[in-house]
Amino acid sequence: MTKAEHGAALEITDEQIDQICEEFGNREGSVVQVLQIIQEKYGYVPAEVLERVGDDLGIPHSKMFGVLTFYSQFYQEPRGKFILKVCVGTACHVRGAELLVDKIKENLHIEAGENTEDMMFTLEPVACLGSCALAPMAMVNGNSFGKLSPDRMLEMIHQFQEEEASENKESVSAS
Amino acid sequence: MATETVVEMAAELFPDVAIPTIHIGMATCGLAAGARSIQELVEKELAKRGIEARIIPTGCIGMCHNEPLVDITMPGKYRVSYRNVKAMVIPQIFDAHFVKGEFAKKYAVCQISVAGHTPYEGLSLMNETNFFKGQVKIVSSRCGLINPTSIDDYIATNGYKALKKMLFEMTPEMIIEEMTKSGLRGRGGGGFQTGLKWKFTRQSPGNEKYVVCNADEGDPGAFMDRSILEGDPHSVLEGMLAAALAIGNSKRGYIYCRAEYPLAIRRLRKAIADAHERNFLGDNILGTDFSFDITIKEGAGAYVCGEETALLASLMGERGMPWPKPPFPAQKGVWGKPTVINNVETLGNVGHIILGGGDWYASYGSEKTKGTKTFALTGSIKNSGLIEVPAGTPLRSIVFDIGGGMIEKKIPFKAAQLGGPSGGCIPVSGLDTPVDFENVVAAGAIMGSGGIVVMDESSCIVDTAKFFLKFTQDESCGECTPCRVGSKIMLDILTRITEGQGQEGDLDELIRLSMYVKSNSLCGLGAAAPNPVLSTIRYFREEFEAHIRDKHCPGTVCANLIKYVVIEEDCTTCGLCEPVCPTGSVTWEKGEVAHINLETCIRCKACVDACKFRAII
Repeated sequence: MTKAEHGAALEITDEQIDQICEEFGNREGSVVQVLQIIQEKYGYVPAEVLERVGDDLGIPHSKMFGVLTFYSQFYQEPRGKFILKVCVGTACHVRGAELLVDKIKENLHIEAGENTEDMMFTLEPVACLGSCALAPMAMVNGNSFGKLSPDRMLEMIHQFQEEEASENKESVSAS
Repeated sequence: MATETVVEMAAELFPDVAIPTIHIGMATCGLAAGARSIQELVEKELAKRGIEARIIPTGCIGMCHNEPLVDITMPGKYRVSYRNVKAMVIPQIFDAHFVKGEFAKKYAVCQISVAGHTPYEGLSLMNETNFFKGQVKIVSSRCGLINPTSIDDYIATNGYKALKKMLFEMTPEMIIEEMTKSGLRGRGGGGFQTGLKWKFTRQSPGNEKYVVCNADEGDPGAFMDRSILEGDPHSVLEGMLAAALAIGNSKRGYIYCRAEYPLAIRRLRKAIADAHERNFLGDNILGTDFSFDITIKEGAGAYVCGEETALLASLMGERGMPWPKPPFPAQKGVWGKPTVINNVETLGNVGHIILGGGDWYASYGSEKTKGTKTFALTGSIKNSGLIEVPAGTPLRSIVFDIGGGMIEKKIPFKAAQLGGPSGGCIPVSGLDTPVDFENVVAAGAIMGSGGIVVMDESSCIVDTAKFFLKFTQDESCGECTPCRVGSKIMLDILTRITEGQGQEGDLDELIRLSMYVKSNSLCGLGAAAPNPVLSTIRYFREEFEAHIRDKHCPGTVCANLIKYVVIEEDCTTCGLCEPVCPTGSVTWEKGEVAHINLETCIRCKACVDACKFRAII
């Protein structure tokens, strides 16, 4: 299998897929969990992996595809290294969450759900992250940031870019 | 009473008599406000001064507007709570406590009593502050006070005492009886009697039954369950154990938690592992023949999965589509077996009820809604956060006494949105509504899971209705036509109205469609989807009409419906609007009223948002 272009992707073999399925007892009820684990390792669920899981669990491809596309947190395409989850729930909405989303779109030249060309960022507006008192807020790769402004958002993006650049430099000099 | 010992902080929580304790609020809200870096700074400062202290993370005490919160308990003294702690404040707080032996008055919010310790003079107790005075904390009583990752903290505050009582002193019938007496109703919004639900599941034939905790808190603007899971995870486990004992023949429970709550899931995992170690979970619990285990199932992003039958479908690995009831989960749930499914807050209350007694719990609340309810108070309000009040507390005291009124003093209250996408707006005239299941429905909203979003006059009611409908439309699972298509047509109409293309008759059509979608949808999501539209038309018809007839948005939110004219009387000549205009259409001279050139204006609204005096309409 070819290595995905996703920044954090790992190579995953058919044997590994079989192992994950077996771990969950090859039961129909574990489809969602198996897919979650694969996505965690892969960043997304490639079509051929989906097929293999279906074969292992004895579930028709049509049904596997149905489950995958029903849930908004499964992705069929690779995604960026930094997932910018901007909350657009009620409280964030009334405190100007749209301005944050617009700022990202404008600066990274991406629409909601898209990746930047260098696969660094993915913009993902989400309904509610449950920290309404610190609206507007965002979550980047599991870390929460509250009381944001469009400018602060931009600062954060630059910070991630810098971190990434220095990391790359380090790995180059190390090798 | 069961709760007082908890709120009054047991002395066992401070075992090292000579060592100061520093609590830092580390729920998602605290972390988002920067609690992690505050912790590092506190550690550095301690090292610098050579002070030995215990640093303990806590959940959310409810004052989210004051995060990051840092509490300091000196040996033998009450616990002092500091708000909005920033880097520069830490040395001052430390000087006060560690050098002068007092507290830093400037930054302290309140002090929390600790059994056997003494208070400071000149600082109000937590329960005397405006924010906490009207509150009664039962289910959230441990949140923010104890370390949620420590099972010892939980046990020191009466934790797992209810489990022992149920195992050794109570029959399943007695548990159900106590729950029935308490009058506790489903806190996820359904409002079904918990005791009755458990009784039905017990009566369902079957030698294999399941307990499911619904932690798929999806309503935007609601975070009560997150706070409980992050702040007091063991209470939910204990509630599930009670349900398992009550329904009988149950060896396994599931917690279905939405994936947007990674911290809650981590804390639950830790709690389950710790409970295993102490044999509160697992085989032959505390030497009895009762065995029970809990598995966490992570959601994968589907709002409809908060609906119980959709949740069960998702739990079994299917698309999360609801099924028509009957059969009810109590008859046929997980893997086709009888299942009791309760919300996080409902389960979190159980331990307190078993210890304090059903009658004690029922002594709080209103006639038909007993006990307390947590609310997530957000929006244009001063003290936003998590609160717990007796059911039936008037909306006015929630918004103005506890919430402290509007965040912008000059912009008055317009409406409170209760119940999220299934709820509705309550206007000024409804401020005296007692907030319980029945009265809120009569006022045109629902209590729901407990989200209250406060809006001031600078918000647009039509835009709010559109926001909620867009949400349900996105989240409609597509199974039944009324919800899938009906919500889409309604959204199209609302979008037209906010863009200035509204027509006469639009409102009648919206009401007609609402009634149709309400009565013909398969599950609760569709049946409630029109509520935000109906309630706003009921109370704010003029505002809809202003959008449709006058093509004007009184809240100056809908960009197309703003005139972009400066009102001379309201303009303070401050000039804030001038630099933000991307096209240079705003002209302003010091001391002069600003002017907008409509020929070059691109209607981006930057000036409207910049104006603090609402002088541009």
